[in-house]
Amino acid sequence: MQYSWLLFQALVAVFCAPLLSGFIRKVKNALRMRRGAPLGQPYRNIVKYLAKEEIVSETTSWIFRAAPFVVLGSTIAALMFVPVFSFSFSAAGMGDVLTVFFLFALGRFFLALAGLDAGSAFGGMGSSREMFISSFVEPVAIVTVAVVAAHGWSAESGEMSRHIGTSFSRMVAAAALFMVVLAETSRIPVDNQETHLELTMIHEAMLLEYSGRSLAMLEAAASTKQLIWFSLLGGVLWPWPFGGAMTLTDGIAAMALFGLKMIVGALVVGLTEIGLAKMRLFRVVDFLGLAFLFSVLALVILSLGY
Amino acid sequence: MMTLFFLTGILVLTYAMLVCHRIPALIQNFRLQSLFLFLVTLDFAVRHREAKVFVVAGLLLLVKVILIPSFLSRLVKKIKVDERLGLFLNPLLSLISALFLTWGASVFCSWFLYTRQTAVFAAFVVSITVVLVGFFIMVFRMKALSQIVGLLVMENGIFLLASVMAGGMPFFVEIAIAFDVFVCAIITGIFMYRINKVFTHIEVHRLTDLKG
Repeated sequence: MQYSWLLFQALVAVFCAPLLSGFIRKVKNALRMRRGAPLGQPYRNIVKYLAKEEIVSETTSWIFRAAPFVVLGSTIAALMFVPVFSFSFSAAGMGDVLTVFFLFALGRFFLALAGLDAGSAFGGMGSSREMFISSFVEPVAIVTVAVVAAHGWSAESGEMSRHIGTSFSRMVAAAALFMVVLAETSRIPVDNQETHLELTMIHEAMLLEYSGRSLAMLEAAASTKQLIWFSLLGGVLWPWPFGGAMTLTDGIAAMALFGLKMIVGALVVGLTEIGLAKMRLFRVVDFLGLAFLFSVLALVILSLGY
Repeated sequence: MMTLFFLTGILVLTYAMLVCHRIPALIQNFRLQSLFLFLVTLDFAVRHREAKVFVVAGLLLLVKVILIPSFLSRLVKKIKVDERLGLFLNPLLSLISALFLTWGASVFCSWFLYTRQTAVFAAFVVSITVVLVGFFIMVFRMKALSQIVGLLVMENGIFLLASVMAGGMPFFVEIAIAFDVFVCAIITGIFMYRINKVFTHIEVHRLTDLKG
């Protein structure tokens, strides 16, 4: 029963993830007084890519071919360790929330290699920038999780979610995590999802050589990763526990609450993106330094017991 | 929960002020910080159902969110000075110093705070941090305009401190302070305009140069 619920959660999350991307785009366009693409546009894109022919450069090695599978596979595996809308267990004690960061790093490693593989200038630039940013992002994410984990002395997501209640340190940690989420989902102060302008691309630059099915897989992986980060943030800010035995009504309530969290998150992210300008790459250090300082501040406040 | 959220917002914006490189960014940041302060006050007013606090919150919205920031940004446009703030200390070092300031504030609070209510502790720490960061901005930024903003930020911190410690100052004092701050901002703004006319710059460390 537990496992079927876990699989169901993963399936729902993967299928709903593009909807979240579409919704954020819709919010941004509404704020700019534009009509914008319909809500289901990310789905249409994926279907379109699936129907198209795939072209692979002759100069690439097996890494280029393997990367989409690794990226999508590791992202879906990460879903098993994250409290998406059920909290009481994660993948049968196989790992805790830190495993999620490891799985993300695995995907990122392969994607960066694939970006370099084709030997185009853009791919290499995107890869190096991605690694540059991730070296700032990962410490913040780990310290943030450490702060939340210290509430129940366990980094296992089920155990973490049993210690609910808002504390000041958790709130400050959430602020740090929010900045990490902006950086990791290639949002505006760090990256811009909407443009293929050469100077600003980070994530898109690595995907530039891909087409057809592989591109569809990478797009799906990106939106799933975004959903995972959002639900991590939601779990830190607004944890909601459900007991070990999930009943049907519990499940429906949990899913409704999760949807609400995602809507609120999308609104906040959309507003932030509209309100900020894209930063120069070396200014991103200041932005992520702010995030790191906040995670350390959360640790300091936690040490005083608040 | 909501109070804690707004207080964290104030904290984030206070730290973000130290990352600012340009004067308009600093002013917009101050505007947002005041907006969050307004939300904290409004939250307090709604929970305690006090008409006076509503008036104070409205005054805060009018003076600190709308009037002063628009006046300052107009001033920046008018004196046509270089927009960069001129940092004596780069953003990351400023952030690390601010971390120590907050750490000091929280240790200080945990010494003598009589209650272990999270919201009270948070408000106390945030307000002392805001005061100290305002002071920091006054000391470590070159342009004289950042001195005004630093002073206003300190005032925001004191306002928050007063509303946490004493449930707000007496009504008339509150109103008097609001006008005081507004007049202070205008006078220092005009002063800045004059300084720029005489010296052709507003950099504090060069104001001691003799002028014939």
